[in-house]
Amino acid sequence: MSTVVHTHTAPASGGSAATAARKSRMVSEAGMRGRWWRFAAILLITAVVLVPIGVVAVLAFTPGTTSTTTGPTFENFTNVFSETLASTWLGNSLVVTLATVVVSVSVAAPAGYVLSRGRSRAVSSYSLLLFVMQSLPIITSVVPLFILFAKLGLVDNLLGITIVYVASTMAVATWMMAAYFDSIPISLEEASWIDGCSVLGSFTKVVLRNSLPGVLSTAIFAFLLAWNDYLVAIVFLRSDLTFTLPIGVQSFFQQNATDWGSVMALAVVMMLPPVIVFAALNKYFSVGGIGGSLAGR
Amino acid sequence: MTATTHGLAKARRGVAPGGPGRTPKKHTRTSTLKAQTTRTFFWLLLPSVLLLLLINGFPLVYAAIQATHNGSLINTGAFVGWDNFVDVLTSPGFWKAARFTLVFTIVGVFGSWAVGLGLALLLRTRIPARGLFKVLLLLPWVVPIVVSSTAWNWLVATPQSPVPSLFHALGLGTPLFLADPTLAMVTVCVFKVWVSFPFMMMMSASALASVDENIYEAASMDGASRFQQFTQMTLPLVARSTYISWILMTIFCVNDFPTIYLLTGGGPVDATTSLVVFAYRTVFQNFQTGPGVAVAFLMTLTLVIVSALLYRQIRKAGVE
Repeated sequence: MSTVVHTHTAPASGGSAATAARKSRMVSEAGMRGRWWRFAAILLITAVVLVPIGVVAVLAFTPGTTSTTTGPTFENFTNVFSETLASTWLGNSLVVTLATVVVSVSVAAPAGYVLSRGRSRAVSSYSLLLFVMQSLPIITSVVPLFILFAKLGLVDNLLGITIVYVASTMAVATWMMAAYFDSIPISLEEASWIDGCSVLGSFTKVVLRNSLPGVLSTAIFAFLLAWNDYLVAIVFLRSDLTFTLPIGVQSFFQQNATDWGSVMALAVVMMLPPVIVFAALNKYFSVGGIGGSLAGR
Repeated sequence: MTATTHGLAKARRGVAPGGPGRTPKKHTRTSTLKAQTTRTFFWLLLPSVLLLLLINGFPLVYAAIQATHNGSLINTGAFVGWDNFVDVLTSPGFWKAARFTLVFTIVGVFGSWAVGLGLALLLRTRIPARGLFKVLLLLPWVVPIVVSSTAWNWLVATPQSPVPSLFHALGLGTPLFLADPTLAMVTVCVFKVWVSFPFMMMMSASALASVDENIYEAASMDGASRFQQFTQMTLPLVARSTYISWILMTIFCVNDFPTIYLLTGGGPVDATTSLVVFAYRTVFQNFQTGPGVAVAFLMTLTLVIVSALLYRQIRKAGVE
């Protein structure tokens, strides 16, 4: 914790131009030195933190013991795709994840709007209900759902797990949307009502149209949840043709624990989509809003 | 404008200049808007309510039935009252799992909070390439657990793995990170902190963003040390969001399955079996749904109590 205390009073960007100028004159030399110390510290921390992820990347491109090549190679990837059902698993994961994202956002956005604008007792108790449901361990609902889905033929079925994913994103997705709608001034809707727009019309045409960051943020959340899930998939998916990537990677790892190159190649395939999505869209992603949305009602 | 049942905030504040549509009489405009709002809100909320009832509500009722029956995954079995709960509460395996869950949750919540807050404070200062670090440090949270647990396995699992070899080279013996019960508990907890700190970093960063930097200047003129500024100004100012992040992380930790199961499978000798892993095994490996679901219910009860206590703290912090 000593770094924490040491660093947070260093010259920061806040304050008016005049105070900033005075501050920077007063502490410029010490500040510059502190700045590079902090840079060194964060560089070291980041390097250590990223070791496990670096390991995956390096091993994936390292030729196996039986290989004739030396140096970086794509062999592990071609092996994994030709010898396992990796492409099927990848396809399954993509279908399930995209369906979850679309359905989750289209259900959470209207609900979040009601939570944001509604002030009745029914609305706030619904918000509380969402909170209670969110704190239930997923295993509580997985067992009954397994029995129900078995009767409906939804076990070992991609539709089945998509339904479970949508349900388990619901609470947080709704809070995220509500938090974003809270930041949109109601005067925008008022103006549209005066123009003769209906309540629904002003939601879809005015509010939603100005909510791209909120929608993207919620979509990223749903994407990560569905793509990374393990528990639901391991319970519901039984045959290797319906496996999603997490189960595929895991079963492959259990059977080929010594073939690290192929295991890590499959791991790279699995981690690339979330990393790409996050790298491209991370400026939209914010979990801070959940807090306000949770405690505000 | 009192006691609106369903109404937009604006309508309640009495600033409604006119509702949607063209209503000729002035005094009916607001009530038309209100009625329309109620109707629209009902339809907007309906899909979410239906989904919640179907996917969360129904299983909850069904789970309550299962918890009081001695059935399996195939049939419901006979009614046994509280027997499952008694069985679970008197089994040593349950209490061992409960103890580990407690340790795992406390380390997970406060460990990831301390690391996340520390990094958020560090990243708030002027540092070259700050934006890049912010994204890179989120990676442990973004990368699937299946992937990161595989990598951690490679790093620590066997005596020949890199980390034990490093310890050996430094003359610290050859620790068996996943084979020794105590060390396995430590490893799982460290892994959980590694996975979760980015979430706490994001929560802390957005709370800190609302703290006005200028207050520190006044404080340092009054002679407050940096440590005092941190404990007496920064922490109280972010208290509310801190409590919220603790609640969320407590829920995430207690309900966590893959972080533990994929790294150790609950072993060695059940040292890292948490309540969720215990419930999962009871249901899907021993095929006893009743006791398994009973465990889940007991967890939920504990979680609701802890959340309620923390929620009261939020209310208090919000009053200030």
